[in-house]
Amino acid sequence: MQDLIELLISATAGGCIYALFALSYLVVLRPTGVINFAVGDWGTVAAFGGFLALSEAALPWPIGMAFVIIAAFGLGWLTERIAVRPLVERGAPVLAPILALLGMLVIFREAVSVAFGPDPRPIPQPFGYGRIEFGLLAASYQSIFIIGITASVFVGAWYFFERTLAGRSFEAVALDRRAAALMGINLRRVTSFAFGAGASIAALAALLLTPNTSAHYLMGIPLAIQGFTALVIGGVGRTEGALVGGIILALAEQLTMRYVPIAPGLVQGVPLLLLIIFLLVRPTGLLAARGASA
Amino acid sequence: MLEVRQVRGGHDRADVLHAVSLDIAPGETLALLGPNGAGKSTLMAALSGTLARRSGTIRLDGEDISSLPSHLIVSRGLALVPEGRHMFSPFTVADNLRLGAIRLPQPTRARLAERHEFVFGLFPRLAERRSQLAGTLSGGEQQMVAIARALMSSPRMLLLDEPFLGLAPRVVEEIHQALDALRSTGLAMLLVEQKLDIALTFARRACVMVKGRIVLEASSAELAARDDLGELYFKLARAATRG
Repeated sequence: MQDLIELLISATAGGCIYALFALSYLVVLRPTGVINFAVGDWGTVAAFGGFLALSEAALPWPIGMAFVIIAAFGLGWLTERIAVRPLVERGAPVLAPILALLGMLVIFREAVSVAFGPDPRPIPQPFGYGRIEFGLLAASYQSIFIIGITASVFVGAWYFFERTLAGRSFEAVALDRRAAALMGINLRRVTSFAFGAGASIAALAALLLTPNTSAHYLMGIPLAIQGFTALVIGGVGRTEGALVGGIILALAEQLTMRYVPIAPGLVQGVPLLLLIIFLLVRPTGLLAARGASA
Repeated sequence: MLEVRQVRGGHDRADVLHAVSLDIAPGETLALLGPNGAGKSTLMAALSGTLARRSGTIRLDGEDISSLPSHLIVSRGLALVPEGRHMFSPFTVADNLRLGAIRLPQPTRARLAERHEFVFGLFPRLAERRSQLAGTLSGGEQQMVAIARALMSSPRMLLLDEPFLGLAPRVVEEIHQALDALRSTGLAMLLVEQKLDIALTFARRACVMVKGRIVLEASSAELAARDDLGELYFKLARAATRG
């Protein structure tokens, strides 16, 4: 029993990472309509930023983390300036920036591989390798840390989108670009901010993940797929959808790995299988958007 | 107040507007008439800064706004109520209005309250519906929200693109009265309308646009007195093709 609970907690922590990547997709997707598959490789770049800040420079965790997250905001902003804005302002179809961002993904990955080589780089655990045991409850410090941070990020994101004027104007841009412009919403600034925030969230996710897995230049693609699957499962209409989708995906993966007798490598197929099932059966995701008829 | 000179432009390569010029004096209401596809809405897009490509000069109170992006045009005091209302349907009426005030100069609490009071005074129905989702309102109420939303930014010049389109006569009357009240506050307005009768009772002066050009400018009284009013667009369109 304790074993199962520990599995569930660590799966939830893994799900939180997917949920953060899904949220990274979502903050860009909402106002711009662009699906940005480069989220995983924003994470890769941030993970190596974390390696430099936390392992090489040995900065204290909060400072190193803040440093990487702020730098990632700049990276996201730059990504938008280079790969998205020139296309959107020339009236290109929405597929054009999506493809340009796939190009950015390759650039990020190869830049990291040139700079750091193919070996994984370790990142220290913020609280060491300790565990909490409390009755039946058992979990690593890192799992608790991941779940706590993710919960607060989602509360913050929910508050932003639902309760602040800036968040409402993000939504407004998503609902009707022209009307949003006529209200006086600065479309450029919303787009820049969305990409910056998206990259910061991806960076946070990478920093939470890599103490367990190390930074590696190929880590981006699977994260991009898992984040996207989480988004599809939860639905893009509501912020909580990303969280629900991430946790469901991770539970499916972990329980398959534990109880289904298949080769460990095949577990990587679980998100793809879920992705196909959801796109076929429930393409709007589990949580329908508010105001939309189900 | 508003000075438009030689404005050209369009959504893609082909020009829809061909050297359009017009003037609106402070506090004046001008009707812009013309048949479907004359370029009236394109001109509105050019004035509000949402047209992809435009050239020429647009001055608001002497300041050149022709190269400003739309959000800065709103903060300079020019607001557009677009054709088709463009509600943020899943948002409440209150949220729609709050977004309209996003460029309100000095958006203090008192100033916001004053704007709310102003638009609820104009459309008392909206006060009752403030927590209702905009998408669930009737067409007429949505049009009221669209006008109120534009007024939240405290504009000096209001552009209205076919605000009466598709509304029941009773609602047309209600909105007409609200616009009359607005005019008496000294707000300058440009009303785009296809139907001559509505426009001519509302504005003192009218411009007729055909195929992207202003082809006729006259006082409403002059226009209303023409006996060929029924076929005016047709005649003007034919003249524009020949000329």
